[in-house]
Amino acid sequence: MKLETNRAIASNQFSEALRGVALDGEGRVYAVGDSSVKVFSSEGELVRQWKTALPGQCVAVDDGGRIWVGEFEQVEIFDAEGRLADTWKDAGRLGLVTSIGIRDDDVFLADATARWIRHYNRVGEFLNNIGDRHRKGGFHIPNGVVDFAIDADGILHVANPGMHRVERYKPDGELLGHFGRFDGRDPAGFPGCCNPTNLALDSSGRVVVSEKAGPRIKVYDPDGEFLEVVTDDLFDPAAKNMDLAVDAGGRIYVADPVALEIRVLSRRAETVP
Amino acid sequence: MSDERSRREVLGTAARGAALVGLAGLTGVLAVKANKTYAWSIDITKCVNSKLGALGVDVCEACATDCVLTLSAVRAVNEFSECGRCYICPAYYDITSAVGPDGLPSEKLCPRDAIEREAIGWIDPDDPANNFYEYTIDEKLCNGCGRCVMECKEPAGLGSIRLEVRHNVCLDCNRCSIATACPEEAYERDALSTV
Repeated sequence: MKLETNRAIASNQFSEALRGVALDGEGRVYAVGDSSVKVFSSEGELVRQWKTALPGQCVAVDDGGRIWVGEFEQVEIFDAEGRLADTWKDAGRLGLVTSIGIRDDDVFLADATARWIRHYNRVGEFLNNIGDRHRKGGFHIPNGVVDFAIDADGILHVANPGMHRVERYKPDGELLGHFGRFDGRDPAGFPGCCNPTNLALDSSGRVVVSEKAGPRIKVYDPDGEFLEVVTDDLFDPAAKNMDLAVDAGGRIYVADPVALEIRVLSRRAETVP
Repeated sequence: MSDERSRREVLGTAARGAALVGLAGLTGVLAVKANKTYAWSIDITKCVNSKLGALGVDVCEACATDCVLTLSAVRAVNEFSECGRCYICPAYYDITSAVGPDGLPSEKLCPRDAIEREAIGWIDPDDPANNFYEYTIDEKLCNGCGRCVMECKEPAGLGSIRLEVRHNVCLDCNRCSIATACPEEAYERDALSTV
């Protein structure tokens, strides 16, 4: 199999910033940037858009079709039509929300201000922090973003770029393990000061990561074994903090913050001569 | 006796005169320095080593190579409040060098070894990756070559290191040779109040 890019979504839809991408069960693509949410069909047609109160930093879609947008010190929750259903604030606790994960009765909000992940229940009651017991006092994020994904067993996989690791946590904050090491030459390692910056999981539990300087997309198996570099020449050298999503077919959606569009990377069977 | 006194007086007068002349000269130089209204400085938004978006280009070392002083008046300065205090700093290490047995890059970036790396805060003796690090530039060694500035620039780093003119060293040449050599016209003569 070979990975190739074959299209872009949301071109010319954002003028200043594109920070987050998410998918729903129907294959619709949700992009957040500037101060708006834009929804695209799986074919890339713009089907809906609305404004957010503050610049959106990330986006997630729950199993009921509600759209959650992380902002500074709050989360806005919209129904599928884009109507504001709720706004979560947690004064004195919640900072810049850069990633959202929702599973069953749990809601996890990555707080880049504290460098922790905040764990709430579905009605917004705070339960615990994740990452606060780290010896560095939290995730080391010189890039200013905490990103994570939740696997089928409810385990959180968190990018800790300053330590060149992907760490796994139970919802109660217990560290289960990690993989990753620095290496500026071997693509199996994470280069530079602080990579990976973002991650997502595919349906098989493979870990897809994005890196900065130079920007590239890589895949690791669920045990952290390096599988492949998907692309290392597609993005502008200045691109960083590229948010990711993966659909059921294994297509990787990359929010390109420089081109201001979503790149879709899909697998193609190589032609056998 | 009187001849001897006379000779001493003459020598003393001459010495005091010479000292006064020297003092006057020094005072004059200091007065010029103190009263100057312009000084050389570096516009970091123009300097190719720190200019955002100037990626994949060679470092410019004109500040190090073109100053009339043996050791340039330009220094790299790390603004700690903007530094990520990384375990592996791309301005300190040559992050493209082979990884050593300690898991760190095996080579440093600075050719003059002018950057000091020190763990700060609570120190984890078992896992150095758990520490934050402070990177301090030794101004006695730095010659302003700009390599660390280039590597600290976004997106690789946070851009906390920049080049600055040390005004206590700069000779304030009217026709500064660095300014003449600077390919980006980033070396400017500004009104002193803005420097």
